[in-house]
Amino acid sequence: MAMKYLDKYPKNNSRHLWVLKSFYTTFKQIIKTTRHRPVTIMYPYEKEWIPDYYRGRPGLVFDKCVGCGICERICPTTCIEMVEVDDAKAGKVVRPQVNVGRCMMCGYCAEYCPTKAMITTPEYELAAYTREGLIFDPYQLAYEGHNEEMQVHMHEHLLSDLQKGITDNPVNASLVDRPALDDAKCIGCSRCAKECPVGAVEMIVVGENDKGKPIKRPKFDEAKCIACEKCVMICPKDALALKEVL
Amino acid sequence: MSKMWVTMGPQHPFSHGLWTLKVQVDGEVIQDAEPVIGYLHRGWEKECENRTYPQIIPMADRLCYSASMTWSHLYCKVAEEAMEIEVPERAQYIRVIADEICRIQSHLMWLAAMGTDLGNLTIFLWALREREWFLDLNVKLCGQRLTTNFPRIGGVRNDMPYLFERDLMRVVDLFEKRLWDIIALTDDNAIFMSRMQGVGHVTRKEAANLGLTGPSMRGCGVNFDVRRDDPYMVYDELDWEVAVCDDGDSYGRYKVRIEEMFQSCEIIRQAVAKMPDGPTRVKAPRNVPEGTHVARLEDPRGESLMYLVSDGTDRPYRLKVRSPIFVNVSASKRLVQGGRMADVPAIMGTIDMCLGETDR
Repeated sequence: MAMKYLDKYPKNNSRHLWVLKSFYTTFKQIIKTTRHRPVTIMYPYEKEWIPDYYRGRPGLVFDKCVGCGICERICPTTCIEMVEVDDAKAGKVVRPQVNVGRCMMCGYCAEYCPTKAMITTPEYELAAYTREGLIFDPYQLAYEGHNEEMQVHMHEHLLSDLQKGITDNPVNASLVDRPALDDAKCIGCSRCAKECPVGAVEMIVVGENDKGKPIKRPKFDEAKCIACEKCVMICPKDALALKEVL
Repeated sequence: MSKMWVTMGPQHPFSHGLWTLKVQVDGEVIQDAEPVIGYLHRGWEKECENRTYPQIIPMADRLCYSASMTWSHLYCKVAEEAMEIEVPERAQYIRVIADEICRIQSHLMWLAAMGTDLGNLTIFLWALREREWFLDLNVKLCGQRLTTNFPRIGGVRNDMPYLFERDLMRVVDLFEKRLWDIIALTDDNAIFMSRMQGVGHVTRKEAANLGLTGPSMRGCGVNFDVRRDDPYMVYDELDWEVAVCDDGDSYGRYKVRIEEMFQSCEIIRQAVAKMPDGPTRVKAPRNVPEGTHVARLEDPRGESLMYLVSDGTDRPYRLKVRSPIFVNVSASKRLVQGGRMADVPAIMGTIDMCLGETDR
């Protein structure tokens, strides 16, 4: 069978002149290096260029984080744990803590983060003396000089949109998926309202029962909701379910 | 009179990874051989049953370090078939480009390893130097060199970054020139040629019976390529040729791989020219409807296949991987039989072993 490219390789004896070509390359290189600085990178002192969106260890922008726990659930190696911290500004809040020793640098936490608080930093030198030193608490996760390039954006398109011919409406799960209430199952315990990290759930009184006590039902603020599913998971009667928009 | 079993591996320069080849030698001629694999078994398939569908993509990268893009692509392909979603056209082109980058760098890794097997360190250095460009392209495209984690169920992670096409065309143009230098280093080398030609001969019929796939199969004259004969993504819209060689020996397999690198450059060039604008990712549902699905594609090493059984939840019930090397290494007895002891690296090197996907 014919090889389209490999057959072009000359089979006459003059091909041995390629030796001269390497002499020419070497000679060119000698002149070049005497005039320019060497190409060797002296690693610990100078480093190779890497883009800002390089997937190194995960980073956290503390003020943007709402503590929804999506990163904890999407992490394939379960290296993220939500811990309670006593912040000077925000008070007692829940923030992610990353065990970098187990992290596989997949960047999922940054991709799925609804508020873009998790970022992928270009930091790759992560040696530590102990295993405990590899567990980064929320303050260690901060990265000096983070910029927009380090955020990972999820520009998904709805299949129904594409079938209609709409191609300029990028969405993702935190923008369109919303919890739906099964009214018959709800007991009005208002745990979902307490659990919601962004305060999108409000308990409203819809009526009175036989004993004269108010019946409460959650009302979801669609604009505030980030589809973190915390209300779905805390619900004791499985009355809530996430409704996916496709 | 004195037949002897010699165990080569698991720590042996010729075994690229952890595996053992037991060979029975009569003097210097090999009578019998038996591959022993399983040193790298990690329970990959079982591990997948515990993870949600998006979480498996970075795990699929770890099946093979030099073919990470094609393995995660294959996983996304089988999941898309199960979810019945169609990938946007731009994402299909980006996937084809990413796959071909992966194919070139995988073949270069093979060439480098082959060079050291035969004692030629210049091939190793030159091939790895050129491979570095393609790894840099990977960094530009998705932020990591080897574990790319780039395809997603329903598209790709991100669109091509700013000026990526320019860098891609520069690398491809320069690489094609440099590849001729590497060919000059091998084809004009009498030692390389005499060690590669005529060893590890397999006929076309035997290759079919042994189940060889990929460059090992095309090196014996079987004209089959999943990219052309069962086209996925946009391979049928691009104009390229399948590299086939009738030799059937180690040198034939070498020729097929070199030719494939040229063809990959051609595919990349056409895909960049034809690429349309548009969305790159479709929102995938969380749960997969009940059923069984199969997808296959052309890995750098052969035909890889994934079989997915889903039970309607957000985790797969079973995910079976058909690794091309698992099948190809079973042909090692036929390949090395009748050869010399010193030819074993030259023969088994052309199989392009990868143990991560073999043992899983």
